[in-house]
Amino acid sequence: MFRYFLTGIYRNVLKDKVTSLINLVNLTIGFTTFILLGMVVSYEFSFDKFNTNFDRIYRVQTKQEDSYPINYCTFSPAAFRYHLMADQPEVEQVLLMREVSAGQGGGQFFQLPDGSQLFEKDGYFSENAIFDIFSYHILEGNPQHALDEPNQIMLSEKLRQKLFPEGNAVGKKVLIGKRFLLTVVGVYADLPYHASLRPSYLVSLSTYELFAGIQKYRDNWTYIDNDNFVLLRKGADPARVNERIHNAFKEVKNFEKSSPYLHPLSKMHISPNSQPDMIVGLSILSLAGLLVLVLSCVNYVNLSLAGSTRRAAEIGIKKVVGFSGRVIAVQFIAETLVLTFLAMILGMGFAQLASPMMANILRSNAVFRIFDYGALLVVLLGTAILAGIASGLYPALVLASYNPIKVLKGKLFAGKGNAFSLRKVLTTAQFSISLFMLIVSLILYAHVNFILNKDLGFESRNLLFTEIHPRQPVDFESVRQRLLVHPEIVDATFSNTIPFQGNIGGFVSWDGAAQDQKEMISRNYVNYEFVPTFGLKMLYGRNFSKDYPSDDKSCLINETALKVFGWKDPIGKQIFMNGRPFPVIGVVKDFHPFSVHNPIPSYIMFLKDKNELTGEAQLTVRFSEGNKGKARDIITAELSTALPDEPFEVKEFSVIFYLDLAITFWQSMKKLFFFFAVVTLLISSMGLFGLILFTTKRRTKEIGVRKVLGSSVGSIYTELSSEVVWLIGFAILVACPAAILIYRTMPGAYKEPLNLTEFLLAIAVTILMAFLTITYHVLKVAVQNPVKALRYE
Amino acid sequence: MIHLANIDKYYDSRFQRTFVLKDINLKVNEGEFVSIMGPSGSGKSTLLNIIGLLDQPSAGDYQLDGQSMLNLREKEVVGFLRNFMGFIFQAYHLIEEMTVYENIETPLIYKGVKSKDRQAMIADLLDRFNMVAKKELFPTQLSGGQQQLVGIARAIVGKPRLLLADEPTGNLHSGQGEMIMETLRALNREGMTIVQVTHNEKFAGYGSRIIRLEDGYIRSDQPALTTERIA
Ligand SMILES: Nc1ncnc2c1ncn2[C@@H]1O[C@H](COP(=O)(O)OP(=O)(O)O)[C@@H](O)[C@H]1O
Ligand SMILES: [Mg+2]
Repeated sequence: MFRYFLTGIYRNVLKDKVTSLINLVNLTIGFTTFILLGMVVSYEFSFDKFNTNFDRIYRVQTKQEDSYPINYCTFSPAAFRYHLMADQPEVEQVLLMREVSAGQGGGQFFQLPDGSQLFEKDGYFSENAIFDIFSYHILEGNPQHALDEPNQIMLSEKLRQKLFPEGNAVGKKVLIGKRFLLTVVGVYADLPYHASLRPSYLVSLSTYELFAGIQKYRDNWTYIDNDNFVLLRKGADPARVNERIHNAFKEVKNFEKSSPYLHPLSKMHISPNSQPDMIVGLSILSLAGLLVLVLSCVNYVNLSLAGSTRRAAEIGIKKVVGFSGRVIAVQFIAETLVLTFLAMILGMGFAQLASPMMANILRSNAVFRIFDYGALLVVLLGTAILAGIASGLYPALVLASYNPIKVLKGKLFAGKGNAFSLRKVLTTAQFSISLFMLIVSLILYAHVNFILNKDLGFESRNLLFTEIHPRQPVDFESVRQRLLVHPEIVDATFSNTIPFQGNIGGFVSWDGAAQDQKEMISRNYVNYEFVPTFGLKMLYGRNFSKDYPSDDKSCLINETALKVFGWKDPIGKQIFMNGRPFPVIGVVKDFHPFSVHNPIPSYIMFLKDKNELTGEAQLTVRFSEGNKGKARDIITAELSTALPDEPFEVKEFSVIFYLDLAITFWQSMKKLFFFFAVVTLLISSMGLFGLILFTTKRRTKEIGVRKVLGSSVGSIYTELSSEVVWLIGFAILVACPAAILIYRTMPGAYKEPLNLTEFLLAIAVTILMAFLTITYHVLKVAVQNPVKALRYE
Repeated sequence: MIHLANIDKYYDSRFQRTFVLKDINLKVNEGEFVSIMGPSGSGKSTLLNIIGLLDQPSAGDYQLDGQSMLNLREKEVVGFLRNFMGFIFQAYHLIEEMTVYENIETPLIYKGVKSKDRQAMIADLLDRFNMVAKKELFPTQLSGGQQQLVGIARAIVGKPRLLLADEPTGNLHSGQGEMIMETLRALNREGMTIVQVTHNEKFAGYGSRIIRLEDGYIRSDQPALTTERIA
């Protein structure tokens, strides 16, 4: 019996090579897509799991309820480490770390053996506990006391190779930032690509305390720019800790409405600051992957039914000979399962091959290996079995129920008009899915373009910037004049932060505010040329000016702040920060100070002291169109002369703009969805081909009869296509609301308003596709001589 | 009405030319009832299809009412099919998704007859064939004889001048066959020209003239002994 099964399947597959091939291609595309997607989702959820303590590690973060929208800040004050977490009974280990040059693009310069400077990002000041909490593999040195003393540094293997290619780094010295001499105490293996935190080097935290010169750094509650991690004891309940630490800020001025909370390591990658973007995106993608697979199964059913005429005679004879309907059904399902598994295996191969493309789309350097994802393989196996049975069942039942006498007489499709209603349901499902995918792709496409082209409120083109930390104050005007000598340079400014790069927050009060009314405001310290260099527009009043010496005690606010303060006539009104009044001299039109994903916050600008470059500053230069290369050279040359001892790197502003998380994420989504839309179109056109082949085959005789009765080709066409029109109509009713739902769940403060064109375009494409296929088939049958169609008697 | 002169019909395969019809000369006058007989494969259906414009002769001349039927355009063929001819098939060829009523209605729709007139015409026919009670049934719910009656009704509802029937009784037992033949005879007596293909000597006798085909040639062409005379 079993042998009969296998040979039967083998012969059936070979007998109709075209149908088998189309079926296989169709299912393989479905599985490839599904697996690719499964890999992406598995990858995103695989982050940090390599840590032995994975489910006991938490980052202590800061929820800021008085900012709008509520901000889940991943950073926290240093005081958490000694004054809050260390005392909790559930806590086994505490770890305080901070990014080297935290919050300002991060990184430091390393002096290479030849004296040149290497800028290396992802460096952290850290305590030794990092090796106890996280799973590091130490290659050189002793992790026990590695980061206990000041001036110690641990290197990643990658950085070690750059600095000490000959090996034996322990005990050697490195000069960073042209001024700090550190001793290498060890080397650790590079962290895997699915680690959220991948330090390139670790400097002992005491080094920071020593050099930054911050008084009582460990006791500080107000600078929220550190990473605090804890390792809980086995079986400890994080909720209890959360309860206890909730009110930690109560006694700290200006932070009453903030609260610490434990954020599990499992969410550190997917949702570091509780923003739903990634989860929503991954859900949409999962849905899409599943739909594509469903679509290919539906296709399989349609194609099988279309091919069933071919097998009808065989089945009729088998039945006459005495095979039961059950055996026939089981055989067909087995055949489908074999095909499905073949498609799954091919799909795994193709998905693996296509995965670098996926990594490229995701802008990640991830390496996808399908066998890394055990859960995915299990799901896949289950899905394959389910898909095989689901897509084999209906055709099997149809085939098995053929009446042998009718089949042998060639009257396969005897029955009433509604005999194939399930087919109609399937076809409608197919149209709905493709239409849905198309609309969502178009919406995403438009949305991403919308974000990319959104008016930022400032002129984001033709800007270069660099971060610089002069040890001695430098008069900025002289630097600026040196730059302006060159005709390629339009203007230059410096400021603490620039749009999309860094953010300082704080609370202010204002004239007319209620007793305890405060506003979390984003603030910046700028010089006289900030407004013109960035091309900000003044709504009221004026920019800072050297003609008014008192400007160093006044401020500029933005439109949003003006609305919050509710002033009719803003000029001369005062805002209060730390009890000091600052009169407003001007209001700028709203611009995006950071991610276009978020609503524009209240924003305030103060004048930098004495127009002097000191501490951490961003120097921004506007150049004239087309002179980027020249401008970069000029800035490098002039700054090297003006500040010979300071390392710096000139960067393009557009680069950080595109690095904005919201933009990169939705750009990947757009590309992924475009990919899906193409796959969907491909699969559904195959399905449509099958469907219409089936319909016309079934109706060949009918078409012949109609022609004899005097029907023209045109009216046959109308009649056959009217059914499809109904199906498409129904699909529109299903797909459009579903797509609108997806649009609604898309996160972000600024969305492209829903646009009818996206819907119409998708509908048009679907209809066009349907009619091309119909036309092809109908014309083929309708043009032929009716005698042929009516011949068999 | 029908004038076939030197009609050949052949199929070319790679190595040879197979003649299905050879040098057919045939005239049929208005009001005649002609039976075509002959062994299987002798070309009867092909001849009927040529007369009915469903197939084209390979050579020769065909005139209908003095008008040449060669090289007609698609539109003209459709016109003749709608207004001049009716077809009856051995396998009935009813449209299975449609009710009896809708099947009969189809040619009228193609002809562009108004809905009201259609109702009246179909009602007349249903009445005549005693099928009023069955008009909402689907073809598969009817017996073979009843299905063929629907086939005839559909063929004649548009009042064609020429009725072509290819073995209309082939699938029926003789009782039902006779009923069909009676119906055809009645239609002929009302003035309709009929050309039928049949294997049945007795049914051939319902016509006024019998043409015998053999290997694509007309073997004989003689007046039929009327059934009355046989009886
Ligand atoms: N398209 C075709 N190609 C080749 N031969 C054909 C074709 N159509 C019909 N024939 C041949 O023509 C002959 C006559 O067919 P037909 O007119 O159907 O015969 P009858 O109706 O008398 O049984 C048959 O031998 C048949 O095989
Ligand atoms: Mg025949």
